[in-house]
Amino acid sequence: MELKNLQESWDSFPEVSMEERPVLSSDLEKIVVKNPLSDAFYLKNKIRIRIVAGSLLLLYNIYRLRMLYKYGGPGMDQQVILFFLLSYFVYFHVRLLLFADYPALLGLRLMPFLQKIETILDKYVFSFGILSILSGFYTLTLFGKVFYFSRGGSSLLLDNGIYIWLIIIFLSVSYYILFLHTLIPKYKKLLAAVRKYKAGIGALPQKK
Amino acid sequence: MNNSMKKEGPDQDLRSLLKSQHKRVYSICRFFANNYREHQKLFADIISAASQNIRFRRGSESKQVLLLRACVNMAALHSICLDMQPDTDRSIQFKSPDYQKNMVQFRSRMGEVSDYEKMRLFLGFQNTSEIGIEDLTGPLPSKVVSSEGVKKNFIPYLKAKLIWS
Repeated sequence: MELKNLQESWDSFPEVSMEERPVLSSDLEKIVVKNPLSDAFYLKNKIRIRIVAGSLLLLYNIYRLRMLYKYGGPGMDQQVILFFLLSYFVYFHVRLLLFADYPALLGLRLMPFLQKIETILDKYVFSFGILSILSGFYTLTLFGKVFYFSRGGSSLLLDNGIYIWLIIIFLSVSYYILFLHTLIPKYKKLLAAVRKYKAGIGALPQKK
Repeated sequence: MNNSMKKEGPDQDLRSLLKSQHKRVYSICRFFANNYREHQKLFADIISAASQNIRFRRGSESKQVLLLRACVNMAALHSICLDMQPDTDRSIQFKSPDYQKNMVQFRSRMGEVSDYEKMRLFLGFQNTSEIGIEDLTGPLPSKVVSSEGVKKNFIPYLKAKLIWS
């Protein structure tokens, strides 16, 4: 690559062309309010929804704990573990949202920017693990309610300690496998692409 | 009326800046876009990224630096998205014949270079001597300590797990 030739070629670009026409004010109004990050890179809304849902479930969990503490009943240990899980879930997502700092993300230098995108995607993929455990807990609660109503008030399923935990583990693993085959691959593929790009930014592109 | 003028002030400045700097944004598209559609999409993405950077800027970076960072970062994301679609047609296809001819010539003269080199060339063609490539890209991976090295020592590993970077 000769710089002189390249400069010559650069200078010979037409001053005005269909491809490089000046931006109109009306177009600019539409462009500046658009989100520059595509759906896969922009997780803000998804994280927000999780925080709201997690907070609501946490509030309900606190209410349930209070009721169990006051009046007694089965499932106290489950509710306590669920409380810690939900607290961590909300904390994790709030931390991720604050860390991502989407408004200032694109103002970073390239390498810190790619590093941050990588961390956000990595943590988001990790969050599916917590989500699958929570899904396991709540699916069991749903099953418990269905059994309770279908058997006319007796909830054998929820009274049996060891089986409850086995079912929770089984459901959590099942949910994780489900996420692993449906939602996670998209983010893992993107994460791998970001890592590859970051590692090879200074290297020559491979001929395709 | 004064209040409305005050509200419009910074936004008006931003729009004027983006309008005056549109050539600079188009310049980076020449390096990274292969067809008209990609070119227009990348241009719009960079403009919106630059507008976001300038509106939410923290610290002492100038608007020029933030605009150039938006150019470089969006170009990188564009490359990542292209790499994820290996079957995409990468031939140069533009609508106006002059532009097509210039692009083919420019790309053939440039040859196969890394994105980092493209960014350096872009910066070189912008005649911004006060802004260095490190202001836009930061240190390259070769200068950054690898995560494998971090894992050997427990405390830095734990620190890396607890403090997201």
